[in-house]
Amino acid sequence: MVMACRVINKRRHMGLQQLSSFAETGRTFLGPVKSSKFIIDEECHESVLISSTVRLLESLDLTSAVGQLLSEAVRAQNNTYRTGTSTLLFLVGAWSSAAEECLHMGVPVSLIVSVMSEGLNSCIEEVVSLEVPVHHVFDHIDNTKTFSGLETFSVSLGPFLQIPSDTGLMQKEHDLKDVAPQPLTIHNLSGRPVKSPQLFRPQAKVEADTNMSQTPQTLKNSLLADTCCRKSVLIHSRHLNRTDNSQQISKPDGFLEQHGAATPQAYRCNDLVELEVGLSHGDDSSMKLVEAAAQLQYQNVRTQQGSCAMPFMFDISRIFTCCLPGLPESFSCVCPGYITVVSTSSTTLIKELQNQPIRVVLIEGDLTENYRHLGFNKSANIKTVLESMKLPQDSSEELWINRVLEILIKFNVNLILAQGNVSEHLIEKCTHSKRLVIGSVNGNVMQAFAEASGAVQVAYITQVDENCVGNGVCVTFWRSIPLDVVDTVDGMAIMLKTEGINLVTVVLTSPVTAHMQSKEDRFWTCASRLCYALKEQKVFLGGGAVEFLCLSHLQILAEQSLSKGNQACSGWLHNTSSWLASSLALYRPTVLQCLANGWHKYLSTLIYNTANYSSEFEASTFIQHHLQNAIDSGSPSSYILSEYSKLNSGIFNSGISNKLGQIPRVYDIVTPKIEAWRRALDLVLLVLQTDSEIITGLVHTEINSQSLRSWEDCLSRLELKLRDSSDTVLARHPLFRNNAGEPPLARKVANFHS
Amino acid sequence: MSRLEAKKPSLCKSEPLTSERVRATLSVLKGIVTSCYGPSGRLKQLHNGLGGCVCTTSQSSALLANLSVTHPILKILTTAMQNHVSCFSDCGLFTAILCCNLIENVQRIGLTPTTVMKLNKHLLRLCISYLKSEVCGCRIPVDFSSTQILLCLVRSILTSKPACMLTRKEIDHVSALILRTFLLTIPENTEDHIILGKSIIVPLKGQRVIDSTVLPGILIEMSEIQFVKLLPVKKPGSLKVALFCASLSGDLSDTGEGTVVVSYGVSLENAVLDQLLNLGRQLVSDHVDLVMCQKVIHPSLKQFLSMHHVIAIDRVGVALMEPLSKVTGTRPIGSLGSVSPSTYGSVKDWCTAKFGFKHFFHLIPNEATVCSLLLCNRSDTAWDELKVTCQTALHVLQLTLKEPSVLLGGGCTETHLAAYIRHKTCNEPESILKDEGCTQTELQLITEAFCSALESLAGSLEHDGGEILTDLKYGHFWSVQADSPSIVNWSNLLSRCGCGLRNSQEELSWSFLRSTCHPFAPQTCLPHEAAGSANNLTLDCFTAKLNGLQVAVETANLILDLSYVIEDKN
Repeated sequence: MVMACRVINKRRHMGLQQLSSFAETGRTFLGPVKSSKFIIDEECHESVLISSTVRLLESLDLTSAVGQLLSEAVRAQNNTYRTGTSTLLFLVGAWSSAAEECLHMGVPVSLIVSVMSEGLNSCIEEVVSLEVPVHHVFDHIDNTKTFSGLETFSVSLGPFLQIPSDTGLMQKEHDLKDVAPQPLTIHNLSGRPVKSPQLFRPQAKVEADTNMSQTPQTLKNSLLADTCCRKSVLIHSRHLNRTDNSQQISKPDGFLEQHGAATPQAYRCNDLVELEVGLSHGDDSSMKLVEAAAQLQYQNVRTQQGSCAMPFMFDISRIFTCCLPGLPESFSCVCPGYITVVSTSSTTLIKELQNQPIRVVLIEGDLTENYRHLGFNKSANIKTVLESMKLPQDSSEELWINRVLEILIKFNVNLILAQGNVSEHLIEKCTHSKRLVIGSVNGNVMQAFAEASGAVQVAYITQVDENCVGNGVCVTFWRSIPLDVVDTVDGMAIMLKTEGINLVTVVLTSPVTAHMQSKEDRFWTCASRLCYALKEQKVFLGGGAVEFLCLSHLQILAEQSLSKGNQACSGWLHNTSSWLASSLALYRPTVLQCLANGWHKYLSTLIYNTANYSSEFEASTFIQHHLQNAIDSGSPSSYILSEYSKLNSGIFNSGISNKLGQIPRVYDIVTPKIEAWRRALDLVLLVLQTDSEIITGLVHTEINSQSLRSWEDCLSRLELKLRDSSDTVLARHPLFRNNAGEPPLARKVANFHS
Repeated sequence: MSRLEAKKPSLCKSEPLTSERVRATLSVLKGIVTSCYGPSGRLKQLHNGLGGCVCTTSQSSALLANLSVTHPILKILTTAMQNHVSCFSDCGLFTAILCCNLIENVQRIGLTPTTVMKLNKHLLRLCISYLKSEVCGCRIPVDFSSTQILLCLVRSILTSKPACMLTRKEIDHVSALILRTFLLTIPENTEDHIILGKSIIVPLKGQRVIDSTVLPGILIEMSEIQFVKLLPVKKPGSLKVALFCASLSGDLSDTGEGTVVVSYGVSLENAVLDQLLNLGRQLVSDHVDLVMCQKVIHPSLKQFLSMHHVIAIDRVGVALMEPLSKVTGTRPIGSLGSVSPSTYGSVKDWCTAKFGFKHFFHLIPNEATVCSLLLCNRSDTAWDELKVTCQTALHVLQLTLKEPSVLLGGGCTETHLAAYIRHKTCNEPESILKDEGCTQTELQLITEAFCSALESLAGSLEHDGGEILTDLKYGHFWSVQADSPSIVNWSNLLSRCGCGLRNSQEELSWSFLRSTCHPFAPQTCLPHEAAGSANNLTLDCFTAKLNGLQVAVETANLILDLSYVIEDKN
């Protein structure tokens, strides 16, 4: 008994444990219903409200090596795709537990690495069968004209993630109200979970209960997600074309004939609104704005290019968000041009500039006297002396301002947009001479104005000549809101526009200032989802369908390799000559099963978070039930598709009642999702293969040479300790928890769940 | 007032190797390098503990550079390894492990350093002359008319670095890319001397590895604004190029010490700018089409140039200067004075390209032996590892071009060599005994120490508790699961040897590597068809390994020979 216990302890991999505990903090962000969290800094009593993985990791103190790798992975995913970070974080947690479990069972590290990596590859190949092509969605746009389409859909989501859509938002508002007055009950920076059961559970429960009573059958079948009125057959499924699987699908030809011929365009997504609703993942309000922005951009581009131009690309770099906290939600809207907040002191100026085309100058950097372009080194040792007794009358800044004004007057410029800061003094002077100066303008906005007005961006105002000045910009107040409302935002919003400018501003408003950031984040998430779907011209059937296919595929692979032995997996290892290759068959089912458990956990958490189930156990049972059905059916992907058509033919629609025709599909984007999976597994495998942490880079000073010496002492001590220990490999390395005490080379890592 | 302190006496330690601390540290160092070795080697996280970036690696270069070592003995070792890696890129861990193994083994037998050194050197000579000889059984000549062996070589290098996090498909893709990159650097018209071109690795982090690609010419990254401005300017035909290494930013870079006194009203900045604009005028009148600058170009000068339809690209960076000057035939201009027309060069064409989120100015030279390898990987740490690995692979290909041979990898060369040396010293000891003047026992002891150092080096490839066998015909490396039943039909349990050349069905017999078996003569003379059928072999760089072997033995000799360490305490 004692022996067994020791072995288990030595097999604990500290890096993996850290990963799973870090990942645990983001569990509630999975799925469309995201519970917000408060992060409170105990020292300065500041708090932030966060509702996304990226913001969570930004706020956590992840200084340990593993923590840093994790936040690096999340940041990279976010920078590249702006979506998929919650999936990434969750899978990191799920798969690091899976890898640890494999270690527990004595699977060699190299085998865990190759089987997991190839297992995921196999999943990624498999899910191609659930891709839905997206083509010509903008062809129908001229017919619909307005974007009222969304309104009709806004009530519901795909059934797998079925919740009355408003509750998500409402719940968050409730949360906020409830939480705000009692910050003491929440948590501190060291990372205890924010979600406090007393506060949140009751609402979730109520919601779950109403759902349960309402549609028990829907829930049962909701896994298969699609309740779209159209039939769905995927003729391009690799599954159907594969010879070795043909016995599983009894009559492939008949299958295709039956459905495919009946509705030729059924397996495509040709409708922009359908696509948007599918990609909104419960965030209708953001998606509505995205849709409006896309439409506006489309119309813009079409009028510029004429009808015969290149295919339209949704370009999110030409969308700008302007956050106005303090205004009611209903003020959120999408407008052509650039909307920004300026100080109320410019009111009269704006009034005068209104209703006339004005000339603009674009400044790349700061607009201050001391600003020099990047790469210019100021010499510190230059001293100016006066040769005569005549003192200059003006300070050098005043001289500079006069110079600037001269130039502006010379070229008749009334608007200056600068990417950097602007000298306060200059703004004042310019306001007097009826010129509007706006600083801190986003680079993409500058670019849009440069294109539309013909202005050329310059670094210094002295560079301005006739060629650099742009024409025809209009300034107006935004929406002519009563000033007393706009005042609450410490300034007033104005709108700048030029004929044909390819720029759309999305105004985001929220009465709750703390919500502003997450609102902006959510908008961008939706925008990038749509952008990727259009760019890749394909989406996945969403609502967990792809993950479910991965789960059942791995399950089948595991069972196959149990029965078939070694044949199925030749070539799964880099190094085929090693003994590991021959013992692959022995361990493969175990590792695949563990990997599949990760998907299982993902799906259970997803539907548990969606509040359809009162416990994760229930959710897990639900998944298990469908998993069994899918495996028994022989081909999981056809099982998924057939369940789709059953839903469509109306057998299970009683629960959804008359809304059926309006319940849209749920879609997921392809590459960002797959990359999130890969990134998650890569991180887990990287940490799994790591056995030591070496702390380096000490500054070479007198004091630190002491610590340099102590590095060697440290190693010697470590070695001495190792000599006492009987276990050879695992105990040697600090990342494996050592019974004898704190590993000398490993940094202490704050434990999140003490 | 400064105060003089009396000098401290120097500290002298004798027999440094006998110190427990040195032994222990050496053994930990060995543990670190050994655990990194091979395709299933374990990774190390290197970071500064203060929130700096985390480097996950199993490369000797990264490890040795970051282990802060103070003891002179360890310093000798790490410096020797670093020197080897800087010259040959590959086989750093091999060298370090072998050196540690040799020191450890020799220390155990307790012979006098002179005998040890003499015999070690002799055995080294035996190894080298065998590896270089025609009859060598672990060397394959490289046939440059087919890519097979070269691809295997590159693939072996990529596979041996697990921190690159590549799947098999990605390994195939990157191997092919590396080989293409290498081929692009070979000039087409060769005379007596081949001067290889240069390949530049361009980072594109965050993208999929599969998106990596190689392009002839040079890619210069630039901002989107610059990119957009460039789009409309396009002139057919070749372009006249000026390349500046001096900063054109308009600052007064070297005012030196002291203070510059300027009268009120005089602006030095404007004076410099005027000078820059004069330079611009000269460039325009010389009909230069493309101005590139290592550092920053003043915005006003840029504006002036673009007004005259001259493309100005700044912030090229020091790394690109040499290849740029090479492919364009320019001499980098270092002053703002008048420019001699002889410094100008030319390029064939240029275009703009966008990869991932980055915008590039793509320069297409007249005679291209310079190419850009656009390398992608998902995470920063995996990208860094992949970059170093690619550089290693490219270097190894160059070394192979010079010396067209490769060695069998996967531990087979080491076990084969050990078997050869054992057999040689056992059967023909006379000449050695005569040359070196030592006894038979001494020779046996040293041979044992030397050969088991090689064998346990091969054994370090195993990290998951397997056991190592060697066959008694070729002396190749075979791995088997631990605790396999002792009376077993090996040929059914084993499949292929470490390098992949030998099949277990060839009627071989095996013995455990560390068991005391009778010395046997491993079969020499690799048959030619073996090299031809090489499809999935694990191969090592011949030159790098040979040098590694020499460095390891010589460094071990040097360390074993140390009798005093004198430390200046001041």
